Amino acid sequence: MKRLNLKWPLTIVASLLAIFIFVIPIYGATVYSFKGNGGKGHSWVNYQWLIHADGFYPSLFTSLKLAVLAAAFNLILMVPTMVYLNLKGQRFKPLVDFLCILPLIIPVVSLAIGAQVAMPKFLQNTQYELVFFFVIIALPFTYRALDTSLQTVALKTLVEASRSLGASWTRTITRVIVPAIRSGITGALFLTFALSIGEYTITSLLHWETFPTWTVVAAQQNILGAIAISVFSFVGAIALLSAIALFSKRGLQRVEVEE
Amino acid sequence: MSKKDRASSTLELRDVSRHFGSVKALDGLNLTVNPGELVALLGPSGCGKTTALRIVAGLETATSGELLVNGERYNETPANQLDMGMVFQSYSLFPNLTVSENIDYGLRARKIDSEKRAKKVTEMLELVSLASKAKAFPHQLSGGQQQRVALARALAIQPRVLLLDEPLSALDAQVRGQIREEIRRIQLDLGITTLFVTHDQEEAMAISDRVGVMSHGQLEQIDKPIALYNNPATPFVASFVGLANRIPAEITAKGKARVLNQKVDILESAEQFVAGEKVNVIIRPESLELVSESDSDATRGIVALKSFLGPLTKVGIAVEGAPLIHLHISSREVRKLEIGEKIAFKISSDEVMAERA
Repeated sequence: MKRLNLKWPLTIVASLLAIFIFVIPIYGATVYSFKGNGGKGHSWVNYQWLIHADGFYPSLFTSLKLAVLAAAFNLILMVPTMVYLNLKGQRFKPLVDFLCILPLIIPVVSLAIGAQVAMPKFLQNTQYELVFFFVIIALPFTYRALDTSLQTVALKTLVEASRSLGASWTRTITRVIVPAIRSGITGALFLTFALSIGEYTITSLLHWETFPTWTVVAAQQNILGAIAISVFSFVGAIALLSAIALFSKRGLQRVEVEE
Repeated sequence: MSKKDRASSTLELRDVSRHFGSVKALDGLNLTVNPGELVALLGPSGCGKTTALRIVAGLETATSGELLVNGERYNETPANQLDMGMVFQSYSLFPNLTVSENIDYGLRARKIDSEKRAKKVTEMLELVSLASKAKAFPHQLSGGQQQRVALARALAIQPRVLLLDEPLSALDAQVRGQIREEIRRIQLDLGITTLFVTHDQEEAMAISDRVGVMSHGQLEQIDKPIALYNNPATPFVASFVGLANRIPAEITAKGKARVLNQKVDILESAEQFVAGEKVNVIIRPESLELVSESDSDATRGIVALKSFLGPLTKVGIAVEGAPLIHLHISSREVRKLEIGEKIAFKISSDEVMAERA
């Protein structure tokens, strides 16, 4: 009996789903974001409103600054930790794995209030306290991204080879481990950055203004402006994703054939 | 790098033990590797040979005992300050660095100026005949080439001692033979003190000045390969090095035994046997010879298997009341023998080793 070839029907169904779920809403939002005053004609008026709106730049820069700090702090914390766990601290891995899942289990309200009280005094009531919350909520994702990456390389042998050649731990991490797990680091970086820049709940609970909280307030004043904000955020996210992918690709090209 | 670049070192392990909980990986190991000598540590899995090498490399710390290089104690020195060049079992090249950069890595860590580094890298590439692959990345090289780069990288830092941790075990048989000879050539050229860990006795015998056989964290015997083979100090060494038949026997008098209805002399050993005691005697295949079936002193059996080994063929003979007995016969002669054929053989060795049954 001839086997039924499902390749093409499945491709068509997947394409139709993608069109309905992604393409049409994005296309609709983009078209509406270019509607003129009163929804007539096409113009840049909504984007002009967006870039001239009070609080747009400060909130955007605050979000970017906090996201960069969170991503950097996360990597500084997690790369050596994950290297240690995979190299010498295997017995602690289940514990750390469990601890890293906690941010997904603990309700955000409890996390925000509890962690704020436990935070060092010099950080309390400064916007930098958000960096620590962003790091915490990104932990489950960075843990897995880095762990998967570390398990694909012969970590122990590479580290021992580096050490026996006279390299310090710092040199071993920066020159051997980091390049070997570049894809995991890129993933962890992107996840932390994306989670941080889009985080709304904790920021709102603690009464800080970042781009997501500003967006919610601004969108209530101008519905077409709100759509422009969505499209702007979407394009921004795509640009960011592409930049990181490019960075990662350059890293890969480094190990490509050079005859 | 010439012999003058770094005077060869003496490596000494003095009563070194390493315990992992209740497991004694090393139990009072004493070993001296003389300047310019290549010593192989040979033994079954878990005998402690790799632990010993890792202690020398600074990758493990001895529970007790001393690690001495040229008489100086290095027990607590971290791996990155020990100046030991190590080649690992698995390919350990840094995947993001080219062949040149891999060789340069240890020189850079020592903050040597760029001109000297470049010169040394070129010299090392020529030493391992890989100058044309300088800009290649590890994934573009074969297994043998990768291990040659690893060797060049380890030698570039002019180590006190070269440590080889089963560097050939991941390679196929043909390449293994080539790299083995290349390692020996380079080692002799440079006159570098080398400690080589392997579980492959052919490898150990082929290139080492001396071979140390390890068992249960201790050195059973260390000697020149030929001495180790011909004069094993213990039954373990006799059975581990080379092929050996372990045949049940009975002590008939002091220094005498009866095995397969033949009388043999027993080598003197620490163990004392009494008349009537059941023992096992260890007899190498080449100490057995085929004789005419009419020889009344011979043992009779039936050819049970033939394994072609090249110039020699290993023949298994089934004898009543004994395990399968192996002997080596010239492959030309063995053509006359058929499976199931009756044959007779005698023990030609003057003395055999015995162990308690």
